[in-house]
Amino acid sequence: MVDGTPSWEEVARDHGRKIYNFAYRLTGNSHDAADLVQEVLLRVRRGLHSYRPGSFDGWLWRITRNAFLDDVRRRQRRPTVPLPETREPGEPAPGADEVLAGIRLSEDIQAALLDLPFDFREVVVMYDIVGLTYEEIAEIVEIPIGTVRSRIHRGRRMLREKLT
Amino acid sequence: MSHLGDLISALLDGELPGSERAAAKDHLAGCEECRAELAEAEAGRTALRSLPQLELPPGVIPGTSPGAAWWRRRPRLAWAASGVAAITVVAGIAFASGEPAPAFDMSTLSDQHTARVEVDRGISTIRAPGGGP
Repeated sequence: MVDGTPSWEEVARDHGRKIYNFAYRLTGNSHDAADLVQEVLLRVRRGLHSYRPGSFDGWLWRITRNAFLDDVRRRQRRPTVPLPETREPGEPAPGADEVLAGIRLSEDIQAALLDLPFDFREVVVMYDIVGLTYEEIAEIVEIPIGTVRSRIHRGRRMLREKLT
Repeated sequence: MSHLGDLISALLDGELPGSERAAAKDHLAGCEECRAELAEAEAGRTALRSLPQLELPPGVIPGTSPGAAWWRRRPRLAWAASGVAAITVVAGIAFASGEPAPAFDMSTLSDQHTARVEVDRGISTIRAPGGGP
C-alpha cells in the first residue's frame, strides 16, 4: 500500500471473498456471485487512480452495490432461464446426518433470506454477513441512520418468522 | 417511554449512542413485550450469522497468486503465443496454482461443497474440498 491507496492485488486478496459472500447471499447463485466479484474488481482497477484516501470500505462497497444493482437491472431487461442450483433428484446425498442437517439448515436460512424484500435483505447482509457498521451502511445505501435501524430490525424479524 | 420498536436491533447490536442506549435499557428492564421482541430479533440475527462464510471459487481472481505472476512480468512471451493458447495457458496456471489450501473446517464444508459442485459443473473440473496444489 502506497500513500493509503491499496493496490488492486491487495483489494482482490483482502476483499474478493467478502464481495463473493455478499453477492451469494443476495442472489443465492454462485455463478452470479463470481461474475459480480470480477465486475467489481474491474471497476476497482479502473477507479483506483481516482480513489482519495478516506473510507476505503465505503468506497469499495458503493462500487460493489452499484455493480450489483446494474447487474440486476441488466437481467431484468434480458430475462434468462436460471440454471438449477439444487441437487438433481436421485443424486446421492453426501455424508453423515449432521452434515446433511447443516446443509438443510443453511439452505432454509438462505431461502428465507431470498424471500425478504431487497431493501431489507441488503442491509441485513451488509451488517450480519459483511460486517459493516450502521453508519457505513447509511452512507453506502444513502439512507438515514434511522432507516438503517428499522430495516435491519424488520429484516431480522421477517427472517425469523419465515423460519418458524 | 413508548415501546422500543425498531430500535431493538440497534440496541442488541450496540449501535445506539450512549444517551439513547441508557433510556432503551431502562425501558427494556420493565417491559416484557420489548424483551420478547429482542429475543425474536436475536434469533433472526443468530440465523443470519450461522450462515458459513464461503470460499471464493478457484479461478475467480486470475493472476493474483504467485504461481500465475510470471506471465505478467514477461508480457512479450505471452503476446508471442496465439490468443487462444495464451488464454489456455494463463487460465490453466491460474486454476492449477490457485489460493493456498484453506484450513479444513467442518462447519463450512457443506456450503463450500455445494458452491464448488455448482462452479465445477460450469468449468468441468473436479476439485476436492480443501485440496490445494
